[in-house]
Amino acid sequence: MNTSLNGKVPTIALAAIALFLVVGMPVLNASGGVTDFTLNTWGKYLCYAILAISVDLLWGYTGLLCLGQSLFFALGGYMLGMHLMLMIGPDPVYKSALPDFMDFMGRKELPGFWEPFHSFPFAALMIFLMPGLLAGIFGYLAFRSRIKGVYFSILTQALTYGAALMFFRNELFMGGNNGFTDFRSILGADVRSPETKRMLYIASAITLTLVFVFCKWLTTSRYGLIQRAIRDSENRVLFSGYSAANFKLFVFVISAMIAAIGGALYVPQVGIINPSEMMTEKSLEAVVWVAVGGRGTLIGPIIGAILVNFLKSWATTKFPDFWLIIMGGSFVLVVLFLPKGIVGIPAQIREIMARRQGIKAAAAEEALLTSAAKTK
Amino acid sequence: MSLASAGKMGGWGRMTGVFLWWVLAHFTTCTAQESKTPREVVAEAAVLMDVDQQKTLVETLATANADEVVPLLTKWKESEIFQYQDAAGNNLAVLIDGEADGDEKFALVALATGKPVTADDGKPVRVSKDDLSVADTDSSLRRVMKGVTDRLALSSPDVAKRMRAVQDTGLEQDIAKLPLLEQLAATEKNGKVKAALAEAIAFLKLHSEDVAVREAAVTDLGKMASIGAKDVIKATRDEAEKAGQASLVTACDKAQADIASHVSFVNSAGTLFRGLSLGSVLLVVAIGLAITFGLMGVINMAHGELIVVGAYTTYLIQNFFAAGIHMSPFGIPVNIPGLNLTGNAWSLYFLVAIPASFLAAAGVGLLLERGIIRFLYKRPLESLLATWGVSMVLQQLFRLIFGANNVQVDSPAYLSGNWTVNDIVFGWNRVFVIGFAVLIIFLTWATLNKTSLGLLIRAVMQNRGMAACMGIRTERVNMMTFAFGSGLAGLAGAFLSQLGNVGPNLGQNYIVDSFMTVVVGGVGNIFGTVISALGIGMADQSLQQILRDPVTGKILVLGAIILFLQWKPSGLFATRSRSLD
Repeated sequence: MNTSLNGKVPTIALAAIALFLVVGMPVLNASGGVTDFTLNTWGKYLCYAILAISVDLLWGYTGLLCLGQSLFFALGGYMLGMHLMLMIGPDPVYKSALPDFMDFMGRKELPGFWEPFHSFPFAALMIFLMPGLLAGIFGYLAFRSRIKGVYFSILTQALTYGAALMFFRNELFMGGNNGFTDFRSILGADVRSPETKRMLYIASAITLTLVFVFCKWLTTSRYGLIQRAIRDSENRVLFSGYSAANFKLFVFVISAMIAAIGGALYVPQVGIINPSEMMTEKSLEAVVWVAVGGRGTLIGPIIGAILVNFLKSWATTKFPDFWLIIMGGSFVLVVLFLPKGIVGIPAQIREIMARRQGIKAAAAEEALLTSAAKTK
Repeated sequence: MSLASAGKMGGWGRMTGVFLWWVLAHFTTCTAQESKTPREVVAEAAVLMDVDQQKTLVETLATANADEVVPLLTKWKESEIFQYQDAAGNNLAVLIDGEADGDEKFALVALATGKPVTADDGKPVRVSKDDLSVADTDSSLRRVMKGVTDRLALSSPDVAKRMRAVQDTGLEQDIAKLPLLEQLAATEKNGKVKAALAEAIAFLKLHSEDVAVREAAVTDLGKMASIGAKDVIKATRDEAEKAGQASLVTACDKAQADIASHVSFVNSAGTLFRGLSLGSVLLVVAIGLAITFGLMGVINMAHGELIVVGAYTTYLIQNFFAAGIHMSPFGIPVNIPGLNLTGNAWSLYFLVAIPASFLAAAGVGLLLERGIIRFLYKRPLESLLATWGVSMVLQQLFRLIFGANNVQVDSPAYLSGNWTVNDIVFGWNRVFVIGFAVLIIFLTWATLNKTSLGLLIRAVMQNRGMAACMGIRTERVNMMTFAFGSGLAGLAGAFLSQLGNVGPNLGQNYIVDSFMTVVVGGVGNIFGTVISALGIGMADQSLQQILRDPVTGKILVLGAIILFLQWKPSGLFATRSRSLD
């Protein structure tokens, strides 16, 4: 699907956009051109864009529609959230350094698995490890028994549902349905200060750029070729002697980790993480961003994530009663009329033009033939 | 038993005469009260001066109609019966009728006749409260009254009421009631009540002074496997241990063991039943999906909303049968007058709601298929996205039309209540859901296998191209199949409305479960869906019983399903196919 905009946009233009996102926006913010709120909102959008890329890597390039990406996103967020919770410090009410919800449950000491999260490097490692491990185990089970297509989607949906049910429980010591909130500091800086928020935004923009470049490299390499071959006909890949399951497992784990980084950057910027973030609906939303932007392109998911969320913010404030209808309706329209997404619009127009011209040419030819026959 | 004869009765002396005659009759044949209504008896008793006579008179009521006696005695106890002396000097038992007028005066009703008290000129008498004196009761009289009401309840002709009275008496643990219960047990015909009486008698005997009686009672309770007796037996055992009554302790242990084994039997049977009914709910919810997803391969994320369409249709039909439909969706007032039915006639609404829900959901499904899904048959994952969009739109529409809160759907009488066999409670709605599931499966099976539409459906689903070549209008068949599957979702909605709340999010709670059910059963196989729904229902309920925690149970079931698919990747009953990709 490299025929769409993606292949045609010059690298220079992409680099310029990246530069604007990474450097331009923060500079504008520091000089007062962009409000703190706008910058923060864009920080969130960029995290969503990272999630969208992870969905596209699976769906657009490998043909695996995962309805559990939000689970990995949220897991990444939870891993950093655990560290942030421990950094809050002693509570003025309970006079203990335990996270509030544990005090509330009457817990006197930190559960063992929380202990190492005092260290930021450990938390950072877990952001990759935990979602990677979960994706590895689940992917191994799923791909080994050759679960694919619709069944893969439904199973990942069930996995997400099960995990959300688990995180809603207080016994897991992950904050129950309130999740984590009330963060104070990250790496010694105040999470709520505009400077920290700006730094978090910059980190998100850089990460998005890096993820984009990495996925670009991955999908244009020999590996990406096999990945797309699996998408188009898994059996032929198998018959050609490739182990499709291993390829799929690899890409599944990678995309889970990418989603998790997005989540980890998202949580300090919005200041909250709870199990509703890992519900299937959130995964579906991410899939919709990809579909709207254009799947099978890496720029499409970014555009889709930003555009849809922008539309959502606008519609929720302007038409609180109708925004679901607007959103739902536009998904239906995009799926029906823009199968290649926004990025595919130019190609679609060209196709229509070409078909029109073809019809015209055919008509002209026929007219020529009939007139020739008449003269005979 | 005639009011006319009561009306003719006049003076005090004559009444006393009648009373004496009655007392005689009471002690001989007990037929006298047949000639007098309870109203008359109470009216007589209320004006008597002698408490012992009052008691005797009240006691005669113990065999009268409870519905008449109990309210009268309650009024008496609550000092609502007054004595009034009329112009002729007769003492009458009266009730105050209506509100006081401007002069603080009241109209009166004669208790014995229920007619207004009139003066000689035929005008209603109006008196102030000072002219009346309350018909007093003392504690001994009230005790007699209580005995009468208890006894009336215990011999109530309504089996359920009698049953409850017997159980209450047992729990009161008042040993004084023992003779009464034994007397009743001798005459009781109904088997269930007889058993309850035996249990209550054993309960009371536990308070007997005699150790042997207590031991026999404990043994009886053990044999009856009385779950309610668990605590009392434990208390008896503790006492017996203190008093060093070894054989009673052994009897208690034996009885406790008997009861425990009965409890575990009841629990397993209950779990089995709940598993079966939960499985049936899953089945009813998933059967529509087994058609649209299993047979047609359409991932319809709006399936849950089709269920909600069915549930709201039931709600509307219910309201139409009652006070009518009064809503204002989008600010447009909708007022449809209702039939204002009550009771059994109203209960029939559900029988109308079932087909209506099917048709409503099938209609929505038809629109969905024509508008969206027919363009996406070759792109199942995109049908997932588009239908999810539809599901968002529908959910919001429900909110705008019916409000964001749950609406109230009342179960008809024949679906509420339960049926207890050997301590195992069978809720009628759960029994009904099982029957309903069986019926739906049968109808689905018959439609697919015994009708020409079914033949067409199967042909198109197996090989669309070939079917088209044979002249089958596949477009039309797709449309009908999808509408049929959607209609089944509507039936599920009608059913779920009887089990829980109806709100815009109702469908979301079942969507994951129904997809899992279909996948586990083997896509495209209706029989597989039946087996997997029952299996998942059973597993869920058993785990809940074992873990005493529904959420962990659910998580384990989801995990087990993932592992199960390792073993059988294409579900229980795989559709065999030679085609690749």
